[in-house]
Amino acid sequence: MGDARRVGDSGEAELTRYVVRRILLAIPTLFGIVVLVFLLLHLAPGSPVSASGSPESGRRVSGAAREEMRRLYDLHLPLPERFGKWIGRVVRFDLGESFVDRRPVSERIREALPATLALNGLALLLTLAIAIPLGVVAGGRPEGPFDRISAVALFALYSMPVFWAALLLQSLLSVELGWLPLYGVSSDDAPGGIAGIGDRLAHLALPVTCLTYGSLAFLARIVRAGVVDARSQVYFTAALARGVSRRAALWRHAFRNALLPVITLLGLLLPGLLSGSVIVERIFAWPGLGRLYFDSILSRDYPVVLGLSLVGAVATLAATLAADVAYAFADPRVRESA
Amino acid sequence: MIRRLPGSARVALAFVLLLWIVAAVSPAFTARAADIRLEERLLPPSLAHPFGTDDLGRDLAARVIAATPISLTIGLVAAAVSVVVGFGVGAAGGYLGGVADLLLSRLTEVVLCFPVLFLLLALAAFLPPSPATVVLAIGLTTWPADARYARAEILKAKNLDYARAAKAAGARPARVVLRHLLPNALPPLLVSAAFGVSWAILAEAALSFLGVGLPPPAASWGGILSAAPSYIEEAWWLALFPGLALFATVSAYNLLAEGLRQATTEAGGN
Repeated sequence: MGDARRVGDSGEAELTRYVVRRILLAIPTLFGIVVLVFLLLHLAPGSPVSASGSPESGRRVSGAAREEMRRLYDLHLPLPERFGKWIGRVVRFDLGESFVDRRPVSERIREALPATLALNGLALLLTLAIAIPLGVVAGGRPEGPFDRISAVALFALYSMPVFWAALLLQSLLSVELGWLPLYGVSSDDAPGGIAGIGDRLAHLALPVTCLTYGSLAFLARIVRAGVVDARSQVYFTAALARGVSRRAALWRHAFRNALLPVITLLGLLLPGLLSGSVIVERIFAWPGLGRLYFDSILSRDYPVVLGLSLVGAVATLAATLAADVAYAFADPRVRESA
Repeated sequence: MIRRLPGSARVALAFVLLLWIVAAVSPAFTARAADIRLEERLLPPSLAHPFGTDDLGRDLAARVIAATPISLTIGLVAAAVSVVVGFGVGAAGGYLGGVADLLLSRLTEVVLCFPVLFLLLALAAFLPPSPATVVLAIGLTTWPADARYARAEILKAKNLDYARAAKAAGARPARVVLRHLLPNALPPLLVSAAFGVSWAILAEAALSFLGVGLPPPAASWGGILSAAPSYIEEAWWLALFPGLALFATVSAYNLLAEGLRQATTEAGGN
């Protein structure tokens, strides 16, 4: 067994090397994110760049707000020093105060986070719960009737603008049929206890649907492609030849291999969900991060805009990093040798 | 090329051409689209007004037709910006390799980390409102996908004989990339660009729907849709028809892109 032992060691070392390399590569990316947000700040009306530029039509900032910007972001300092101060504050997680209500940006973000987590968490679960079986069944019989019909349906969902879907669902299910509430988190006269939970779920139904269908269409197509690819591999034929039932071969062999690329994609779903949140939370009056971001854009609340951009990008970086590391561990070619 | 497209993509191509024809004749509808008649506000669809009327009594069908060139042009130009920037970054990284590739790949990754709509909204709201701003904002946020495509293609092709031969003959890097590698990377880039157009049309519609897109009086499909939420309880047609135009257009470009992808990968497979 000496050989197997040696192979095991090198597999583990390789895994460690991969994870370390991946983390090291994330450091310049993190730095890049901080720089890009810093640049975004300089685009903001009232900042040195836009003040020296052409007069902004309809986007003037009051003298007080400009003074506030200067103080908050040290705009009177030369560029390198200003950047140093910005880095210093980011490192201390000091995102400044909201222009609108003077409260710390981190506090406002923390307040809006649960609503968005509930919405996106449910959407993500629903996406996985539907997309994976759909992709496996469709890919199990490529060009079969189910595959053809689901392909057309998924394609239509993929091309459907989320705000249009939201408006159609609202007019059909809320206005015409009166089954679901139009918007909001809960009814004003919502009862407590079990009935209250039902009311909350009814309010979640439409926004969660709108956040789900796009990523569902995307993911199901990826799973299907993975399963179709796995079906043509030797191990699949071998499993069938051993007398494993078609269903078992599909789920135990083809599906597990098709799942690997899905893991890495999960990290990339996050920015898409956050983008979707901006539109969905606006239409359904949902008090989450997306709405906070949009309201802050409209009210020129730069500390909140910059803080949320930073948090969103760093969260995405962390998610893709975690997904890549999980992939390395989940890949049997690495795991079994380790 | 067209002969290799699957049937669905040919239908999509025909539809896209039809859309551009509609865009070409749309100036005939602008007067009607701007005709405000308050006594005819929010009328449901009828023979006189096939799509109904909006909150100012304007004919919705005329408005949807008049908006066609705006949505199509912005989609095309923004996708072009995205492809040019993406190809520049991706090809430079892929061809030069080493530190340049590492840095450009990090740059691509940095932009990919931001939720697209976050960046789009910030750019569109912070820069002076104009069509150029919208196009730039979309192009500058969606190029990373094109960059990844271009980089992969250039990496594949740069060590092939014809590229080495061009290099050995003394061609400068820019010439090797533009004259020799680009034409060969064109089919996959075309696919990426076709998907990019549908993306850009959606992005512009989202911006205009949220009220930070094109400044009035220019109205794209997204801009027309922005009035729909206020009248959701009385006028469903305000939401249905402009969205349908958007959906059909995006579907057509996506189908075309999908067909191009099939055609190019099958051709490249042998």
